[in-house]
Amino acid sequence: MSDILIIAMDALSHILILVMVALGLMIIFGLMGVINMAHGELFMIGAYVAVLTGQSGIGFWPSILVAPIIVGFLGFLIEKALIQHIYHRPLDTILATWGLSIALKQAIVLLFGPESQSIPVPLDMRVSLIGFEYPLYRLVVMGFAAAMIFGCFWVFLKTNYGLMARAVISRPITSEILGLNTKKINSWSFVTGSALAGLAGAFVAPTISVDPQMGLGYLVPGFLSLLVGGTGPFAGVLVGGAAVGGTNSLLTTWISPVAAQVVVFLLALVVIRMRPNGILGGKSK
Amino acid sequence: MTNRLLPLLPTFAVFSILLAAPTFLSGYWVSQLNYYLVYGLFALSLAIVWGYGGILSLGQAAFFGIGAYAMATLTKGMITPDITASILGVIFAIFLSVLAAFLLGIFLFAGKGVQGAYLAIMTIAVTLILERIMSNWYALGGYNGLLDIPPLTINSFGVFYEFWDAIPLFYLLLSIVFIVLVSLQILMATKYGILLAALRGNQERLTFFGYAILPLKLSVFCLGAGIAGLAGALFVTLDGFASPTLIGFTLSTEVLIWVALGGKEILLAALLGAFVTRYAENWFSELFGDFWIMILGCLFMISVVLFPKGLIATPLSYLGEKLKIRIR
Repeated sequence: MSDILIIAMDALSHILILVMVALGLMIIFGLMGVINMAHGELFMIGAYVAVLTGQSGIGFWPSILVAPIIVGFLGFLIEKALIQHIYHRPLDTILATWGLSIALKQAIVLLFGPESQSIPVPLDMRVSLIGFEYPLYRLVVMGFAAAMIFGCFWVFLKTNYGLMARAVISRPITSEILGLNTKKINSWSFVTGSALAGLAGAFVAPTISVDPQMGLGYLVPGFLSLLVGGTGPFAGVLVGGAAVGGTNSLLTTWISPVAAQVVVFLLALVVIRMRPNGILGGKSK
Repeated sequence: MTNRLLPLLPTFAVFSILLAAPTFLSGYWVSQLNYYLVYGLFALSLAIVWGYGGILSLGQAAFFGIGAYAMATLTKGMITPDITASILGVIFAIFLSVLAAFLLGIFLFAGKGVQGAYLAIMTIAVTLILERIMSNWYALGGYNGLLDIPPLTINSFGVFYEFWDAIPLFYLLLSIVFIVLVSLQILMATKYGILLAALRGNQERLTFFGYAILPLKLSVFCLGAGIAGLAGALFVTLDGFASPTLIGFTLSTEVLIWVALGGKEILLAALLGAFVTRYAENWFSELFGDFWIMILGCLFMISVVLFPKGLIATPLSYLGEKLKIRIR
């Protein structure tokens, strides 16, 4: 019984982390139509901020605050220097951000070397839950991820900014005519998406191996869960993350991790092919 | 007749220079050129699919890798019946790549089909899947790959010749690349090329005119895959080594950069893009060390934003406009 609970907990934590990564992607892709191939690298930079604060002796916790600020600012620069010029060329955003991801990856290699870094787990204890023990820090990450997901939904569905952002997305020209500053809102959406990636990276860093090549391992599952769930409705990212992350986590316990990933990718491809608008997206027009 | 040959003039000019190259290049550079020719062939395959077919495939290396492994297993005699002829290997490689592209193409394009960003992400996933599979397929060398793949060999009609030396190999590869390039250029000037342009421009309008989209998309996807498979097959005979990196994500990225930097809508520019980028890499990776990859990434960004048609294609098409010809 407790074995099953541990597997379920692992799956849940996997799902929450994936959704956290996919949230930033969703804001940038689902809302702005920009395919950000450098999102995995933004996540990676968040993780390296945690490495840096750990090494410099400040400790891990400040990175939770610093990482989103640094990565958000980086997002601001990227939007101003790069993305802004190619909003009307969606396919070129793939190429340009791909170039960006290569440059960022190599910058990290130059700064930190190609080897993987490890961060000591900040809350190094286990708590006993009903019938089994679980690492405390992973529980904290899960709780935090859930809070962050909830916060995002709240911002985009309940606040004024969220309303404007959604208006700019669905009717960019109409919104502009109505006097919304679409440029500014797009810019803020990109910064928000980047900051979320940085935050997720810093938070997850102690539980994973941090290396320059890690970005892709989060980008592709993130994108697949986005597409599987459907980009339109916000709940899509939850469903997609649950489907991709959950299947992967459960399969890993039964078959090898490599085989699990291959199967999950294949399943995701079939789902996306069958339902191009995602599980929640309704019938395609 | 002259009007039809005129657009091919730059191609002839480039290949005449290449023809003379071994007379003024050292042996080392000729063997480097052999690699460039194969990479250029690979770049052509992506230019056909992406620049002419309008299908942004981020997994073109899948077909290169399939061709490479097909050639390797056949010429190493790992397939029964034991036939190790180079020519059969090449045919087998092209066949398998086209078959894979056909099946994947039906999956991706049938019905309403997958397009744009969705297609790009799905092709990445496909490449990652293949890379994982090859890394764990121990019968095909797994992560360590296959070693000691024999060079290209002619063994028929009593002639036996192995392409060990760089210069004969260079002329063989040069002729292959030339034939492929010119055939593609001629093909793209026919009605088929016009249909492809219509497909890129507005797929739905083409449907209204009564054309079937699927065969058109499938054909160009398979054509590109076949060329990629040929390039992969030739590559393993040069390198003597096939590994999962040939099928994977990194090579897909690289070919994308060559083609984007050169120019995806002019075949000659895509080919030269591969040459120039590889050549620059030879020099600059020594000069700048690890900074080179960063520079390449930045260059790629700049080129996409400022010169979406490509760094070589932009001046080439300008030249074409001056001469009132359409360079392909």
